[in-house]
Amino acid sequence: MLLRIDTFGPDALLVRYASKGDAAAFSRGQALLTHVDSHPPAGLIEATLGFTTMLLEFETGQCPDRALLEVMLEGVVREAPAEVGPGRSLELPVVYDGPDLKRVAEIAGLSVGQVIELHSSTEYRVRLLGFSPGFAYLDGLDQRLHTPKLATPRPQVPAGSVAIGGEHTAVYPAATPGGWNLIGRTDTPLLDVARAVVGSREAFGLRLGDAVRFVPVDRFHS
Amino acid sequence: MGEPILEIVDAGFGVALQDLGRRGWKRFGVPPGGALDRHAARLANQLVGNLPDAPVLEILYHGACVQARRRIEVALTGAAVSTGRPGDWHTFWLSDGEALAIAPPRAGVWSYMAVSGGLAGTRWFGSVSAFPRGGLGSVLESGTVLERPVHPFVPLPPAIGRRWIDPTEQRDYLYPPAFRVWPGPQWQLFSEATRGAFFGQSWTVSSRSDRTGYRLDGGPMSCAAEVIPSEPVLPGSIQVPPDGRPIITMRDGPTVGGYPKIGLLDSAQLSWLAQCRPGQRIRFVVAST
Repeated sequence: MLLRIDTFGPDALLVRYASKGDAAAFSRGQALLTHVDSHPPAGLIEATLGFTTMLLEFETGQCPDRALLEVMLEGVVREAPAEVGPGRSLELPVVYDGPDLKRVAEIAGLSVGQVIELHSSTEYRVRLLGFSPGFAYLDGLDQRLHTPKLATPRPQVPAGSVAIGGEHTAVYPAATPGGWNLIGRTDTPLLDVARAVVGSREAFGLRLGDAVRFVPVDRFHS
Repeated sequence: MGEPILEIVDAGFGVALQDLGRRGWKRFGVPPGGALDRHAARLANQLVGNLPDAPVLEILYHGACVQARRRIEVALTGAAVSTGRPGDWHTFWLSDGEALAIAPPRAGVWSYMAVSGGLAGTRWFGSVSAFPRGGLGSVLESGTVLERPVHPFVPLPPAIGRRWIDPTEQRDYLYPPAFRVWPGPQWQLFSEATRGAFFGQSWTVSSRSDRTGYRLDGGPMSCAAEVIPSEPVLPGSIQVPPDGRPIITMRDGPTVGGYPKIGLLDSAQLSWLAQCRPGQRIRFVVAST
């Protein structure tokens, strides 16, 4: 399957362009979003990416013909490269002292030191922004560190918490409720509220495609 | 700064500024936000002659008390005036120093108060809708003084005494309609029997409901696929988590989700659903064009 478009109610379409969220899916998603941003169908309110899907929301009654859109977007997918190169390279200092660090180590059958070593020796890629403002799903987590989310989410997770949820790792940009395993914290701000007020995309510290490394530190400099 | 016009003397269960929300920021994880009951918020603005998107106060349940800092024309819609008496959604004046307290509503959850000329507020990504769960602003605390916008929208001529709205627009939240549901992207993952269980029973709105989502209690449903790769979610999406109890995504809900979606509540009825209280029973019907 190259691409399939399902209706999502009368005014939205869900474009499914891959079956699993791998590097090829990411490349397709980027190509589709770029295309839709530069050639928006009339009445398009917004386009949003998932791992394998793109949601197109339209003004009431302005949803375009599915078959026509399918033909157009299929061409975009066909021409998408197998992979897109990394965006910016970022390093985030991390103090590995999270409350779930031991749990992650126990589930993996590793020592805490090995968990830190594994988590900080990978270059991750931002594959998805979503869930809450600026929350970036990072791909590339060592399989041994894949850890199920908590059965009951915490009502409040501190901003800057470095966490593992299933096969992804992430940093909580703000203090929010959260169900991921907290393994550490960074002091690099990933949501700039002053820029949120002026409505700038620069409010978000991480962008799709960024390459991210976690650097273990004992404490932060400032 | 603008002129002070209204003080939140007591925030009660909760008071927030809301407009109709933001567009275009979901791709960064920012939910649309905005008034949960857009119908009542729009009518409040219309009553006082504001643009539909002007910021209004969204008041949860009761206990809130506001005091005018100068003579202002206001309108109250939603739960606080879900009286069952036609003609109760209308404009009125508050004189300088006059207070208005929100009594326990007979039905409904959210009340909306619009002030002629609008209210000023901080915006995050274009909307005054704060999103405390995601680090953007907070609900209004007792003692907050709200100001008129620096360039207020020119309101109605002062000669108008008391505007009211068509009584058929005034909803009585004791009696919700059957909610129309469009098949969702994972409709096919649910068996015929499971779909039947969804539409065939009445569901109870759970007390674990808020601006991110309304949860439903009832006979649990089963689904073929427990989780799917996270995909974008629309407000009104009906997700079925592994425990089989549906969650209806509201306007502050996560922008992506990994639970299968059996359907999408018709967007015109999401405002109606927002006014259904925990414990209230609701039913769904299949929507069709």
